[in-house]
Amino acid sequence: MSEHPLADEAFEPYEPRRPVPLPVYWMAIALALWGAVTLWNDSTAQSSGVGQRLAEAGDMTRRHSAAGADLFAQRCATCHQANGAGVAGAVPPLQGSRFLGANPQLVVQILLHGINGPIAVGGDRFDGHMPAFGSVLDDGQIARLVTHLRATWGNGGEVEAAFVKAQRQATRERHASWNGGADLVSLDPAVGPQPAFLSAPPAPSDSVAMALARGGKAGGWACSACHGAAGEGRSGVPRLAGLPADYIAQALLAFSTGTRPSDIMGPIARQLDGPERVGLGRLYATMASASRARPELDGDLARGATLALQGDDRRDVPSCFSCHGPSGFGVAPIVPAIAAQQPAYTAGRLAALGRHGKDDAGAAVMPSVAARLSDADRRAVADYLATLPPSPAIDTDTKDAR
Amino acid sequence: MLTIGLFLAISFLVSLAGLTALIWAVSTDQFSFGQKQARIIFIEGEEGHLDDPTAGSGSRDLERASIDRTTAWPVSLFLGAAVVWLVIGSFFGLIASLKLHLPDWLDENAVLTFGRMRTLHLTMVIYGWLSLGGIGTATWITPRIFHSPLRSPRFATWGAIIWNAGLIAGCVAIATGWTDGEEWLEIPWQIDGLLALGGGLAVVPVLRTAFGRSVDHIYVSGWYFLAALCWFPALFIIANIPGLFVGAEQATVNWWFAHNVLGLWLTPLGLGAAYYFIPKIIGKPVYSYSLSLIGFWALALFYSQVGIHHLIGGPVPTWVVTLSVVQSVMMVVPVLAVAINQHVVVASNLWAFRASLPLRFISLGAMMYTLASVEGSLEALRSINTVTHFTQFTIAHAHLGAYGFASFILFGSIYYMMPRITGRAWPWPGLITVHFWSVLAGFAVYFVALTIGGLLQGEAMLDAGRPFAQSVILLKPYLEARSIGGAVMTLGHILLAVNVAGILARSAADARKGETA
Repeated sequence: MSEHPLADEAFEPYEPRRPVPLPVYWMAIALALWGAVTLWNDSTAQSSGVGQRLAEAGDMTRRHSAAGADLFAQRCATCHQANGAGVAGAVPPLQGSRFLGANPQLVVQILLHGINGPIAVGGDRFDGHMPAFGSVLDDGQIARLVTHLRATWGNGGEVEAAFVKAQRQATRERHASWNGGADLVSLDPAVGPQPAFLSAPPAPSDSVAMALARGGKAGGWACSACHGAAGEGRSGVPRLAGLPADYIAQALLAFSTGTRPSDIMGPIARQLDGPERVGLGRLYATMASASRARPELDGDLARGATLALQGDDRRDVPSCFSCHGPSGFGVAPIVPAIAAQQPAYTAGRLAALGRHGKDDAGAAVMPSVAARLSDADRRAVADYLATLPPSPAIDTDTKDAR
Repeated sequence: MLTIGLFLAISFLVSLAGLTALIWAVSTDQFSFGQKQARIIFIEGEEGHLDDPTAGSGSRDLERASIDRTTAWPVSLFLGAAVVWLVIGSFFGLIASLKLHLPDWLDENAVLTFGRMRTLHLTMVIYGWLSLGGIGTATWITPRIFHSPLRSPRFATWGAIIWNAGLIAGCVAIATGWTDGEEWLEIPWQIDGLLALGGGLAVVPVLRTAFGRSVDHIYVSGWYFLAALCWFPALFIIANIPGLFVGAEQATVNWWFAHNVLGLWLTPLGLGAAYYFIPKIIGKPVYSYSLSLIGFWALALFYSQVGIHHLIGGPVPTWVVTLSVVQSVMMVVPVLAVAINQHVVVASNLWAFRASLPLRFISLGAMMYTLASVEGSLEALRSINTVTHFTQFTIAHAHLGAYGFASFILFGSIYYMMPRITGRAWPWPGLITVHFWSVLAGFAVYFVALTIGGLLQGEAMLDAGRPFAQSVILLKPYLEARSIGGAVMTLGHILLAVNVAGILARSAADARKGETA
């Protein structure tokens, strides 16, 4: 410091006249151009966003106002076949069915609530498992669909939306499906003789499981607090109603051991013992409830439908329905129902499976498929599955009784 | 078709052209400010000398001594109060930090919960430490660069008293759970009037001194100080009007205010002080007048819309957010100008950096301004914000601005000013060195830990395959490191308070001796 004599307090700072260094100009000009381009791009982003929303609204309107024939092709032809012939021994035919010729109230009620029980059509007996479309089709859609069915295979006659609305209102207290032909014959005897419905005695564990689902265990959380009183789920929380009993029990076990990591379900599942897990599985497997799922992830529904029905060979992604059943209703004992599942849950679960490489049972099939789905595909398929009717609850005891 | 985007892009370019024209006009004397006027405050042949009162160097001249006498009492009051708020505020910050990894500690009473500890910390360090310290520094420097005594110093004294009374009332209100419920605006609006009045009173002497100046040219520090003292009352009053903004509008105004407290209040106060003290201590001028102009006017043009980048992804129109992102990135221009102007003079006089502790504080603070601003410009980009938003990274960034930049400059300014104000040397110069190294080391630990932890946290939260708790658990070691860094910083603040108390006590003893003699 000796070479720098102590300063004079009289020095005051000042600013000499030096030109601004050239790089400062270049940088300022480059940033200004970037800024102008960004603001301009934002305006096109806005107008393209408006266009996208208009297109979506158009799609929605088209879906809602689809003609009866289109609705039949989308919703019914997978099982009943495009010509309405059904599948011998599995799916009843529509051609010449007495149900279509009967009072239109009958078809409307079947569509609203579904069937779960033996049914006789055209002299053949079927194990009736018809999904309930009441929560995924509106009154106008059901009216057009029934009009189309009756015009094609029944005895004509248009059905109005107001009629469907009245029918829906009259049976709004009904939460379960119709118990096979025996139940339906009471609506209109014209359908002919029907097999008897064997109702199973309520399982002894149900009341215990019900108490757990409604009240939780030892002051813990109740299932219904998040998954809903009817197990219908809500955004991000999965629908449980209609999932296979063994699948639910296994998921609870995986949560409790940490095989399936979850901050929320982990501590809850660790409170449950084996019989309680099984009881809860049976409770939700037999629970029938309307779909509360709606597309909410901006997914491409057409792409979702392609993935679900046909898969994507180029990505080596098989069709969802090839394992999860023809309508995504699951295959007992362990392949879960995916129809009417909450889309945020479906997409999140696919991402998690893809990352972890193992599912609850330690298998790698689903995770390897999930890992090949892009984020857009996950959202597309999750949103498409949310438009499907919920799986009819499979009453395990009834099945055992047959 | 005139869309909002086209309109914004055009008005953006027009405003840039206007700014360029203004800077060109000023820098080429179109307003009849000439080289002569610019040099009027400079006395030839007095460059190149270290001026540092902490090293016992620097002589005093009568003109400045008489100017300093007029500012001594109010500035002592501002700085003394600021240091007290700093120490108390640091303890609340430390408690809040500890609670993040010791969640069950001090949870039995509502007053001691995290929400109040953290809010008290923020309110005390922003409105107590940085605001009072900044006003004190501006009040001390302004008369010096205008070569004119401070007018109506009583206004400043009363301003300090009323501001402190309002702040004490505000902190009590927050501690008891009575707040406006908006970040940075927690003090109830019924009490805010006291701060507005106190701030208004403190501005009067500075403005009157500016109007009564005995030089034509306003040195760059003067622009920053005068602008800050006009901007802040407007920001504070508009943001605090009750019931005027609701819903998404309220959130927008909230972040417009909160970010402008940093950019249009603490930044100009800190930069003004750095622009004065760096060349003053070294004894060499800053690099260029034109760069000063670009730095100041670009800050004035770009900063006010920067805050809305806090609402990326929120329910506000896209164009508002995009405009804010663009303006945030444009902040690189003034930051670059200020960086060249300030760092070049330090870099070419590194001997002074080694010799003078106040310069070390101030120059490091100026460097951290450059860092914080560039980091902020990057953080505003949607691609980076996706990762860093809602993580500890943002906390590290806020502290790089408010602590690394504003507080470091204020530390250096206090060490420079207090000996001039009191006419005495620092009682324990060794403590200044300990203070410097403890806050530097503490802050380095703090910043590095939270920056890394925040990035990891952001990555974990974006990963749909990992449960949320993982993003919390992985943070724990980084939060603990933050508490350690914060504790070391607090230690440094206590040393500053001891030294300030010592120099004020000795000065008071001198005054008593003078009276009795």
